[in-house]
Amino acid sequence: MATRRTKKWLHVKERKSKFATRQATRSEILHVEEEGYIVPDAVDDEDERIVDLTQADIKSSVDIFSAQKRFDLQLPLYGPYHIDYTRNGRHLLLGGRKGHVAAFDWQTKKLHCELNVMEQINDVKWLHIETMYAVAQRQWTYIYDNQGVEVHCLKALDRSLHLEFLPYHFLLAATNEAGYLSYIDVSIGKKVAAYNTKIANGNGKCGTSVMCQNPSNAMIGLGHAGGVVTFWSPNQREPVVKMLAHKSTIRSVAVERTGTYMATSGVDAKLKIWDLRTYKCLNEYRTASTGASTLTFSQKNLLAASYRDIVEIYKDLYDEESSSTELPRYLVHQCPNGSSIASIAFCPYEDVLGVGHERGFVSLLVPGAGEPNFDALEANPYQTKKQRKHAEVKQLLDKIQPDMITLDNSVLSEIDRKAFVRKQEDKQKEFNFVKPKELIAKAEKKKGKIGKRLARKSQIHDAKLKEFLQQKQLKRQKTKK
Amino acid sequence: YDPDLHPFEVAREYTRAMNAVKMERIFARPFICGLDGHRDSVQCITKHSTQLSLLLSGSCDGEIKIWNVAQRVCQGTIPAHNGFVRGICVIPDGEAFYSVGNDKLIKRWTMNNYETPAMTIVGKHVFTSIDHHYKNPQYATSGETVSLWDEQRAQPLQTFKWGADSHVRVKFNPIETTVLASCAADRSIILYDTRQSVPLRKITLRMNSSTLAWNPLEAFVFTTANEDYNLYSFDIRYLQRPFNIHKDHVAAVTDVDYSPTGKEFVSGSYDKTIRIFPSDKGHSRDIYHTKRMQHITCVQWTSDNKYVISGSDEMCLRLWKAKASEKLGVTRNREAETLEYNEALKEKFSHFPKIKRIARQRHVPKHVYHAKREHKTIQDSQKRHEANARANSKPGSVPFVSERSKLVLEEEE
Repeated sequence: MATRRTKKWLHVKERKSKFATRQATRSEILHVEEEGYIVPDAVDDEDERIVDLTQADIKSSVDIFSAQKRFDLQLPLYGPYHIDYTRNGRHLLLGGRKGHVAAFDWQTKKLHCELNVMEQINDVKWLHIETMYAVAQRQWTYIYDNQGVEVHCLKALDRSLHLEFLPYHFLLAATNEAGYLSYIDVSIGKKVAAYNTKIANGNGKCGTSVMCQNPSNAMIGLGHAGGVVTFWSPNQREPVVKMLAHKSTIRSVAVERTGTYMATSGVDAKLKIWDLRTYKCLNEYRTASTGASTLTFSQKNLLAASYRDIVEIYKDLYDEESSSTELPRYLVHQCPNGSSIASIAFCPYEDVLGVGHERGFVSLLVPGAGEPNFDALEANPYQTKKQRKHAEVKQLLDKIQPDMITLDNSVLSEIDRKAFVRKQEDKQKEFNFVKPKELIAKAEKKKGKIGKRLARKSQIHDAKLKEFLQQKQLKRQKTKK
Repeated sequence: YDPDLHPFEVAREYTRAMNAVKMERIFARPFICGLDGHRDSVQCITKHSTQLSLLLSGSCDGEIKIWNVAQRVCQGTIPAHNGFVRGICVIPDGEAFYSVGNDKLIKRWTMNNYETPAMTIVGKHVFTSIDHHYKNPQYATSGETVSLWDEQRAQPLQTFKWGADSHVRVKFNPIETTVLASCAADRSIILYDTRQSVPLRKITLRMNSSTLAWNPLEAFVFTTANEDYNLYSFDIRYLQRPFNIHKDHVAAVTDVDYSPTGKEFVSGSYDKTIRIFPSDKGHSRDIYHTKRMQHITCVQWTSDNKYVISGSDEMCLRLWKAKASEKLGVTRNREAETLEYNEALKEKFSHFPKIKRIARQRHVPKHVYHAKREHKTIQDSQKRHEANARANSKPGSVPFVSERSKLVLEEEE
């Protein structure tokens, strides 16, 4: 029952929001950068395949600034290296298994700190900013300053196998050797939750080190020995989602940035692409003998997978047209000396893939991997010190409480119908004179001829608009080339 | 704008809204200063018509003080009347002002001469209030009757009479400048037009109204402060029921004044609190109280929309901020933008329970808190009786009657 006043108010609000969206689209003129891919001269040409391009070829054909981003670090002494890039893609953290930790600005090669923690390192992770990072050492997890000074020893995260940092919630999640998943709030230093994640699989195995983060809803995904993938939130003791992905141990899981697709690889040499909204398998591919040991998505939905000493990058994985079981390979790289790869990570906002292997670190050029236009209010690769300080304060103020982590982000923006009904019922019980309030009924779909006609019209209009926008984009790309 | 680059939009905005609401409560310090000097309780306050910083207040020992609010000093004291000073009004040019008191005199004073009045008129009965026309050199007084005077004459131009009771207050409409309204002691409110010789309309309420105030931006709206702890907003085109009832006080409301934007008004009551209401809502958005402040007799909202002034029984005038958490002084562009953003966030998330609870939270004096609880139980029990009667009788025999239609007992022409 909307009065004239509320209708007018709604009308004003709608007009304002439309204006805001129009202004936002207009501001896209500020996006001066565009991503570029390698495109073959002639399609289906067997002589020239993109896959056959080596990094040397790419390096020689790009400008010097991008060519600088292709480099090798030979660190043969300290074991397979785990790597991490900061959120703005500017700083790199290397952690060798035998205790070597180094943090540096990989574009200017300026070293922040380099130390040996004299213990086995299982994982390294940057925290929200390039002044702090966490190292999962054999016994406990330590937090270091970017000068190499040990700042905290987190005894709550003992014997961690893998670390993940949720940037908007300031939560450091770690999986344990004993099978526990713990969350620590790094802004206040409190343990938020710790859950036992053992999935009964008959042989009482200990914790898993297969872990990934769903960046769109801050869920932590774990892969278990029985082929089960589970998603956890710090509010629940049980996993929120539990799905049987493979028939054997899961080797790696990765979730794409928008949270719609997930890639899993198992010991059964299969690589599966899942739709995370419906939890259905979209594509299934056969891979090399043991399955991809690490998987990671880039910002522009390229998937990188590592097989012992080879890293492969796939493009257009969930194109609806291709129905083949052949993986759509884009680029391939083999690490020298057959050193096995420990971790891979795409650098945000750059067309670079970082690979940490047994004998060091290598940075590969992957055209079209990174998001070309960064929003400086989110992550600014060209931060000054003052901007970094201000940004840190803003981030802390906007820190989302862990109890707001849900599977479906839209819950907060919708009307809580159940709570409304419950409130009415409670009131009715207390005093039985409540005038029944009406909740806004969901807009019913118009049935009948006119409704169908309208629906069809809007569909056609949408399709035409989409086509028009695609044409425009193609034209723009062509003129750019 | 790519929403994928900005995940957790709603959650982050919600966090910001929480921060905004908490900061608003942290910075809510409305009391600015008290103006001391009167030697008896303050009876009436008027703001100057042209000068923002001037304020005139009359007290119960017959003194009128002229205050410079910006400098917080008393510019001058006039020993005006023998007995209470009942009303003061400033003429539209700002050159002079009138005052009436318990000694049946109307005195006209010029702004710089505090010794002798420019004119004195002797009346036949005690005058209870005075109000000046917004444009013409006319003013109206209330007492036993409502009289319309001309500035030059010593006899009233017109006298309006309806019933035999005395009138407590008279107010001119700022927009429809020929319309007056008065509160009479027989629980009624009477509307007059200066172009007619007979009053227009009279409505009788359940209890006495102490004052009324016209909305400075909507010509047909006035709000009365009633002794049944409520304020009623009437539309003069439809006087049968008030279009809004403002409930929140726990004792008789003694004074009401509108903000110059017409969107809010301030009311002071016998229960030692000042409340600020939005003119379209039924409950107050803020309450101001101090341990030292006793029964409030008069309130004014300054013409720059920023401050509220209250005069009370304990001889003190107090200056408050109209928006309790507003920053006085220069706000820079970025600061102003952030404040606006915070306001928008608070409005967007206003219905979320946690945010609503923090935004509504006010510390309220104990007597008010207990009185409110008691009133609530009384109301609830009345509603319960009605609901039970409705449940146990023929459907339709006990109809839902809105409270607004129960208020006006009769309307006469």
